[in-house]
Amino acid sequence: MCRRAHVLGLDQVVKLSSTMHAMKVVVCVKQIPDPADPGALDPETRTLKRDVKLILDESDSYGVEMALQLVEAAGEGEVTLVSMAPNNERSGLATALAMGAASATLVSDPALVGTDALTTAKILAATIKDQGADLVIAGSESSDGYTGTVPEQIAAVLDLPSVTAAKSVEVDGSNILVKRQTDAGYDSIICPMPAVISVTAGVVEPRYPSFKGIMAAKSKPVEEKLAADLGFEEDQVGWSGSGQEIVEVAEAPTREAGDIIEDDGEAHVKIVEFLESLKVI
Amino acid sequence: MYQWSDEHNMLRQAMKDFIAKELVPIRDELEHGNLPPYGLLRKLFATFGMDEMASASFEKRIAYDKAIEAGEVEPSEPKRGEGMDPAFSLIPTIELCRQSPGLVTAMGVSVGLTASAINSKGTIAQRERWVPQLQTMEKIGAWAITEPNSGSDAFGSMLASARRDGDEYVLNGSKTFITNGPYADTIVFICKLDEGNDRKDRKVLSFVLDAGMDGLVQSKPLRKMGMHSSPTGELFLNDVRVGRDRLIGESEEVKKGGRDGAKSTFQQERSGVAAMSLGIIEECLDLSVAYAKDREQFGQRIGDFQLIQQKLAMMEVARMNVQNLVFRTIELAAANTAMTFAEACAMKLYSAQQATAVALEAVQLHGGNGYMAEYHVEQLARDAKVLQIYAGTDEIQTVAIAKDLLK
Repeated sequence: MCRRAHVLGLDQVVKLSSTMHAMKVVVCVKQIPDPADPGALDPETRTLKRDVKLILDESDSYGVEMALQLVEAAGEGEVTLVSMAPNNERSGLATALAMGAASATLVSDPALVGTDALTTAKILAATIKDQGADLVIAGSESSDGYTGTVPEQIAAVLDLPSVTAAKSVEVDGSNILVKRQTDAGYDSIICPMPAVISVTAGVVEPRYPSFKGIMAAKSKPVEEKLAADLGFEEDQVGWSGSGQEIVEVAEAPTREAGDIIEDDGEAHVKIVEFLESLKVI
Repeated sequence: MYQWSDEHNMLRQAMKDFIAKELVPIRDELEHGNLPPYGLLRKLFATFGMDEMASASFEKRIAYDKAIEAGEVEPSEPKRGEGMDPAFSLIPTIELCRQSPGLVTAMGVSVGLTASAINSKGTIAQRERWVPQLQTMEKIGAWAITEPNSGSDAFGSMLASARRDGDEYVLNGSKTFITNGPYADTIVFICKLDEGNDRKDRKVLSFVLDAGMDGLVQSKPLRKMGMHSSPTGELFLNDVRVGRDRLIGESEEVKKGGRDGAKSTFQQERSGVAAMSLGIIEECLDLSVAYAKDREQFGQRIGDFQLIQQKLAMMEVARMNVQNLVFRTIELAAANTAMTFAEACAMKLYSAQQATAVALEAVQLHGGNGYMAEYHVEQLARDAKVLQIYAGTDEIQTVAIAKDLLK
């Protein structure tokens, strides 16, 4: 059972006196094929081919930035990364390390090919659990798979409270104050640490890796692990451990051409009728 | 075999992202308006920590030189691989040149020429006084050698003069085509010491001037063919009085501040032109390939015509050759060595010619569109031409190469 985060009424949001302490933030980062050159689907498995050079998922760069800002605000601490990727790929990790993360753990194992979202969460949770993190941050959803479930699954596996769609996070003693984005605006949430939060894209501006950061990234530690190192049997991971099957992949329907209204002097009437049919006016 | 490493590619991508976000939206103002480039350059330096690194490196070096001067340590040659990867200083040049080569000219003259001229030949006190703020772009530098009647024959025809007057010098002269001249805070003024002797026998001295000094006038930017994002102007000196503390090296000895100093600056400048050329060539090639795939005439894409293919192929050959020259520069710098003066001239000559040729071919390939300012190749073709003129014309480079072969 997860410990609960509490949603505050707006009148309850008070600025509590901050007691800063060293922050250890773990960020889950996914390395994905470059969206500018996304490659192709494997016709047999109906999954994205990942044997190309991978890059840091842009949606995770927001999590890295938020983590770095929290550690900077705390004055001390560190940001570490966890990632699961094929072929010992670490190009995306290098970008996050160059931004300022201190170290990384990379789980890479041919046995993991075909692993579904829940098992991915279990593997990442196993990587995170002994790190003593105050906070685990992940992007709300990856830019290639879009399942959008892994952060909450990690929280469930680790039995930690979870706050989704965070647009801002502030540390206050042993709690975090989170503004959680909603359709209407945001919820203000107070949540005890440790916790897992997912951040939405665009909430912070990811920093560029500096000259110094890029040069330092090469020598930052990246620990590589296999599934077995984390206590998983072969049949618990990959295709055999997957609880889901991709039965069909179809092309997204092409967008239909819009209606062009030629102005014969009555165009405004037709536009009003169209907007009325959509019930927007 | 040298090639871009993962770190280099990461920096290139980060630079591309920064340029797309910060430079491209204001490119029209930089190229066709009156927006000086310095705000953007300062942002570039701060974003990538270039200012912090330059300061740290300067402090380390000055502490070392002070220790040598105090006799606390023996001077030693830097070891191979020490210091920053030289590719890191060329990558911003390449990427900026893809969009606005003028920015590199403005940056290079301030940081590369002005700061380096003081840093390499100045006393410790002079270096501490002027270099830190120039290296971080907090202050803008100009390096003033060219005059209305002295271009390629920089020293022979030089009229700018310094005359001793007690413990001071009185400086006079006009300088033109001075990059950053209109906005410079710190100016290295190169002139001849007038001791009443024949002009050709006079010593060449360099002085550091600050904007606002009595008798110093900085003109408005001059209108020119290209490189609009790099302000160019004139400087007029009328009895500007300076103390010996402004004479670079605080010595009239030629070795400390004269022709040798200027020549080593020329060499550095020439290496930078290869990286600038590579940026222009890469951008022209990318734009041309995209256009050749997209543009259709006679019912097919123009890239299917062999005459267009030939243009693309020649651009690619130029790109490979110039990239190899840039790689050679990086390899030599990493080994703490440098090209000979003649080799640097050859590299500058070839790179500049190729940049101009490729940019003009890109305009040709784009047809009528290429002649329009809406298409980026039009700007690059205008910008590229100056690479064959400044930092030593093609003709001067040719003479230097031949002279070296025939010596």
